[in-house]
Amino acid sequence: MTAIRLALRLGRWGLVGFATVSFIATFINCVGFYQVAGHTQAEREAFAKSFAQIASQLTVLLPPPVRLDTVGGYVQYRAYGSLVIVFAIWALASASGAARGDEDRGIVEMILATGLARAQAVAARIAGFAVASFAAALSASIGVILGAGAGGESFPTVPALEEAFLLAIFGLSCYSLVLLIAQLVAPRMATGVAGAVLLGLFLLNSLSRTFDSLATLRWLSPFRYSELSQPLAPSGNFDVRATLVLAGIAVAGGVLAALAFTHRDLGSALIALRGPARPPMYEPSRSLIWRIPVIRGIYDRRVGLTMWTAGVSVMAALFVVLTKTIVQPLLSIPGLATYFAAFIHGAVYPSFLSFIWFGFAQLLMSGFAIAQVARWAAEDTDGRLELILSNPVSRTQVLLERAAVLALGALIIAIVSGVAVGIESHYQSIDLDARRLAEASLLLVPFALVFAAVGALLSARLPRATVGILGAFAFASYLMLQFGPIFDLPAWVQDLSAFKLYGQPLTEGVDQTGLMITLAIAVAGFAASAVVMQRRDVGA
Amino acid sequence: MLREMAVAAIRTSKLSKDYGHGHGLFELDLEVSPREVFGYLGPNGAGKSTTIRCLMGLIQPTFGSAFIFGLDCRRDSVAVKRKVGYLPGEMPQFGSLRGKEVIAYLGGMRGGVDPKLVRSIAERFSLDLGRRFREYSSGNKKKLGIVLAFMHKPDLLILDEPTGGLDPLNQQEFYKLVGETRDAGATIFLSSHILSEVEHVCDRVGIIRSGRLVKVADLDEIHRIRFHRLELEFAPGSEVPEAAIRSATGVEDVVVSDHTITCTMKGTFDPLLKALAGASVINLVSHEPSLEEIFLTYYRADETPEAIAR
Repeated sequence: MTAIRLALRLGRWGLVGFATVSFIATFINCVGFYQVAGHTQAEREAFAKSFAQIASQLTVLLPPPVRLDTVGGYVQYRAYGSLVIVFAIWALASASGAARGDEDRGIVEMILATGLARAQAVAARIAGFAVASFAAALSASIGVILGAGAGGESFPTVPALEEAFLLAIFGLSCYSLVLLIAQLVAPRMATGVAGAVLLGLFLLNSLSRTFDSLATLRWLSPFRYSELSQPLAPSGNFDVRATLVLAGIAVAGGVLAALAFTHRDLGSALIALRGPARPPMYEPSRSLIWRIPVIRGIYDRRVGLTMWTAGVSVMAALFVVLTKTIVQPLLSIPGLATYFAAFIHGAVYPSFLSFIWFGFAQLLMSGFAIAQVARWAAEDTDGRLELILSNPVSRTQVLLERAAVLALGALIIAIVSGVAVGIESHYQSIDLDARRLAEASLLLVPFALVFAAVGALLSARLPRATVGILGAFAFASYLMLQFGPIFDLPAWVQDLSAFKLYGQPLTEGVDQTGLMITLAIAVAGFAASAVVMQRRDVGA
Repeated sequence: MLREMAVAAIRTSKLSKDYGHGHGLFELDLEVSPREVFGYLGPNGAGKSTTIRCLMGLIQPTFGSAFIFGLDCRRDSVAVKRKVGYLPGEMPQFGSLRGKEVIAYLGGMRGGVDPKLVRSIAERFSLDLGRRFREYSSGNKKKLGIVLAFMHKPDLLILDEPTGGLDPLNQQEFYKLVGETRDAGATIFLSSHILSEVEHVCDRVGIIRSGRLVKVADLDEIHRIRFHRLELEFAPGSEVPEAAIRSATGVEDVVVSDHTITCTMKGTFDPLLKALAGASVINLVSHEPSLEEIFLTYYRADETPEAIAR
């Protein structure tokens, strides 16, 4: 029991964060449904028809919807379609952290030293995640019930509980699979390999909707079993057998992970591939890269930066590909007319890309900045900053180098993703102004710097809370900008969004005032954090 | 160089860092001469690392000042760190970077690193720089820290518990390295909580307790201060030379129980060994007392650190 409590304590921020995200996702989509779907049955059927056309273009990501004319069907598709992916990511982060991160930090060693058997340690971790996963899934169901209540409808409890059970079991099956994979491969590869396997299983299922040849293999994917149940829609179902298969995957993965953990050395993989023997090396690296400020920081982060760049660029291309097919169905939904009127001026497709893609790109870029800020905070708490500052470099230099590394990283992402948008829009015959596309892409850099500057300041004072506060601010800013017009939020509330400063550079050119304010916030934030950094204690 | 010889390598004046509840460092007045090996001795939590972090400009003193070769540790911290090699008490995580990359990374920030010196120290400690940091044992991490501290031939080395995690052979190698570095003209300030360790290498020792410097002593005085608890077991039926042991110089607190004698021993072992000549000793166990035991033996337990310092 103590081990389970410890597992819960180690994962408490994940539980709080994902429970909050789950609740917001379902609640907002419920409320949004009543805003855009209309109030009569005819209006809702027309809405469902238009939305089904959009959904047919997104089958590569999400399963086909059921009864989009009802709040249950709509939330099942809009919220739970994404929550499945969110729970898989949570399971990946949590299980690889439990299996390998805690092992690196010596926590696993300490736990085993108390006399707890290895199988018990694995079971405690799985039980801890099961509790967290059920709690988060339950908060999503509460979001549905309260959201429906806000729209004047009462939502039945049983389907909501079935959906919570299904989502939690799905998360647990992913957790056990990742836990098993983490035992098999080298520690530094655990997250990457497990992430690749989960992505592969996801794509196997989603692509099988398009490519028949894959249909015979989709039974391998837990994503398949999660979409066989759609209990929230009035005509939906709860597939007991599919849910039992998910439970079976969770149990089998957990048992095999425990077996593998019992038979491997701490810090090693069960399957250790030994490289060729080599003589010891006593020479320092002669690479010039390590001597060049900023470049060494980029080189140090090369793997992460490559993944961010590839990920954002693929998303950019995907948005462009989908633009032509989903814009017209969206425009035909009367409830969204106010929403589109807020940003479509002149050419439809460039306007859509400007608002939807570059809005999402801002969210991704703020995520990139927050990830870098998290690394700065970690450097401070694990003592790396102390060792860096034992060199003849000033604290201001360290801060400026961090900012420059972040700016250069953001620039690389912005340029590559901008090129991806440019090339794909050419293939899709969407006419974009090249200069404005370049400006829109490059403006993402100062936008990222705003989050970095605020993050640098916060991490000097509240290092443990920085990522949560910044993440919440970024997410709230995104929601305020994207959904403010739908919910008729007052203009002053929408103006609070950091995303407002970015403007619509792809269609309306650079908002000089917004750019100046963005730069001023970035400069002021970094200047203030330089002052705080100068005065604060390091490593105490 | 002449100017540096004239000023103290380290000088602190009323240096204080108050963390509240009696924790921290209080009114430290200390002077370390150039080319001196100074041991900074104290039990865990006494304030050793706090002093070192103040010297490195990592934390801001609540009161007082610290200077290294005449440079203010806070105001001139960049210039100070050009002269200093630093080994933290615990090495931070460098994840999947290889040892050679950690050296290139931090060496690239510092400049002036001699690759031949890196090679020589790494070879001396058998530290494979081709391995990833996360694969290093705690001893190897400490060795990497030693390379990082010594690799640029600094004028002053500030080493926080440098031998923690090193095996006895590598500890001896480290003591040799410290001696050679001192002979080459550097000053060394090292902290420890083990008295016998600082005896190996230090010219002078400062003892800190509860955040206050209670004693600065040279090696002779340390030798007088230190003692061992001994347990001698004699062969059954053989004669126990109790009288000779009691009369040996430096032997105190003798307790005889059957064929076993326990006692404390101050200074050298020579008088005791002479007293044992001809006796049939079948077992001899020597315990080094902790610093707290030394304090309690030499200073009254109820005496405050301030009073001891006086």
